Amino acid sequence: MGSSLRIENIDAGYGAVTVLSNVAVDVRDGETVVMLGTNGNGKSTLMRCITGEVVPTKGRIIAEIDGVTHDLAGRPTEAIVDLGICLVPEGRRLFPKLTVEENLLLGAFRKAARPKISDNLAFCFDAFPRLAERKNQLAGSMSGGEQQMLALARALMASPRILLVDEPSVGLAPILVARMIDKIAELKAALGLTVLMAEQNFEQATRIADRGYVLVHGQVALAANNIADLRESDVVRKLYLGLD
Amino acid sequence: MVNWDLLSNALVSGVLLGGFYCAVAVGITIAFGMLDIVNIAHPAFIMMGAFIAYFFNTSYGVDPLLACIVAAPFAYFGGRLMYRLYYLAFERHGEESLQGLAFFFGLLFIIEVGLLLIFGVDYRFVEARYIGPSIQLGFVSIPWRLLLPTIVGLAMVGAVALFNAKTFTGRAILAVSQDPGALRLVGGNPVHIKEVAFGISIATAIVAGALLIIIQPVEPSIGRDFIGRVFAICVLGGMTSLPGTVIAAMLLGIAETLTTTYLGPSWSPAISFGILLLTLGVRPAGILGR
Ligand SMILES: Nc1ncnc2c1ncn2[C@@H]1O[C@H](COP(=O)(O)OP(=O)(O)OP(=O)(O)O)[C@@H](O)[C@H]1O
Ligand SMILES: [Mg+2]
Repeated sequence: MGSSLRIENIDAGYGAVTVLSNVAVDVRDGETVVMLGTNGNGKSTLMRCITGEVVPTKGRIIAEIDGVTHDLAGRPTEAIVDLGICLVPEGRRLFPKLTVEENLLLGAFRKAARPKISDNLAFCFDAFPRLAERKNQLAGSMSGGEQQMLALARALMASPRILLVDEPSVGLAPILVARMIDKIAELKAALGLTVLMAEQNFEQATRIADRGYVLVHGQVALAANNIADLRESDVVRKLYLGLD
Repeated sequence: MVNWDLLSNALVSGVLLGGFYCAVAVGITIAFGMLDIVNIAHPAFIMMGAFIAYFFNTSYGVDPLLACIVAAPFAYFGGRLMYRLYYLAFERHGEESLQGLAFFFGLLFIIEVGLLLIFGVDYRFVEARYIGPSIQLGFVSIPWRLLLPTIVGLAMVGAVALFNAKTFTGRAILAVSQDPGALRLVGGNPVHIKEVAFGISIATAIVAGALLIIIQPVEPSIGRDFIGRVFAICVLGGMTSLPGTVIAAMLLGIAETLTTTYLGPSWSPAISFGILLLTLGVRPAGILGR
């Protein structure tokens, strides 16, 4: 009874601007897949297509959640989240004037997560002791690293089956980036999640990913079945490792 | 020489009036503070509540408060419908600021004129056992017709605060205007949440109307006197804060009673606007603003 995601040749954009063209991505049950790509190549747009915030003009997105298949086309974001597909969004999107605890409790809004709210809260406070210490502080007054932890924890409060993470490293000091990436791997293993992560930081992301894709100008420039293939590819050498 | 008798009576009346103002303002704290909906028609719904109480009291001898408590669920669904219309007509297109204001201004007029046509311009009042008797505490006398609205007003704020703290819908109400898109990302529908919250807001206005007509005789146009008051309380309290609403309502109640006692009643309408301007100038975040 797995949870997986299949993005079938989608086109998507904003108004008249097409950002993604013919993008096909597979995330199989229990995998951690990284979506690489430098600024403006469409990683976040792809994430927004999965959550229904951007509606593809072509192609399909199929999710399997605990063995049940769902076509995500035309569903509103909240219905997709209700299935157990949760995004840690770019820019964190916390509720800045609510406390850490209120943000976490809101994370459990999803129907299936409500009965598990106290277990999940205890789990999050255990995984991020910092959030427990700061539970009555306003989310907007937390440091960038703490906010990223909170955004991740809030998504976990929903008991997701498929976790989408959009650039967890943005704005964090290198030491925190490494810790955040480790944390994602640790939580993924503990909760049995399927993970799709957009990331620019090649070295950090590939420490925990099973395989990866590279998006260039809204197209899949490379789909690699393992990290070694990714590292050896021309496109990664050019974009990330400064080699020609 | 300070007349302690006069002063303590004025302070007690001020607190009692403040409790009633809680009932009047709690709906605006929800609509304006939490949802960003500038419902200037809120006082008109309070007047509607007052006349519902009047109608059932004079026609069928029903207790005025009971009449409005029974009417509150209908008001809740009416409020939801109203928000739907407002959303479909304005908010969805991002046209809520000016055109939305005109919508509520129109609503204010329609309700006021409607009440005038039905009930006329005369002052109307209700009858109930608790209108008349007082409790005597030392040299302070507490009339039941002021004490009951205070108790109900505080209970209403308490109930809304509890709902917001303890339920998923309530917490979503606190979050929705901060980032509707992020609310979707946790599985909530912002339109549905705002609809429910606006329904609650209108229901509180109807109950506040019963309290108003228990306190004093009412005619349709006195609703306007409350426009300044409700927004002053909301802003002074810190917009979204319910404890702030209580404190601000008490402060306004006391300030109005003191000026009425010492300067005469003609000054009291100016107090709320004075407080509003002072708050915006000195501490725009209000007393308990986050
Ligand atoms: N809301 C929007 N409206 C119009 N264009 C947008 C919008 N969001 C993104 N774009 C455009 O779509 C393209 C892809 O942006 P996207 O945010 O998906 O890239 P990204 O890979 O996530 O970049 P980054 O690493 O900087 O986050 C960019 O050219 C961007 O300008
Ligand atoms: Mg991005």
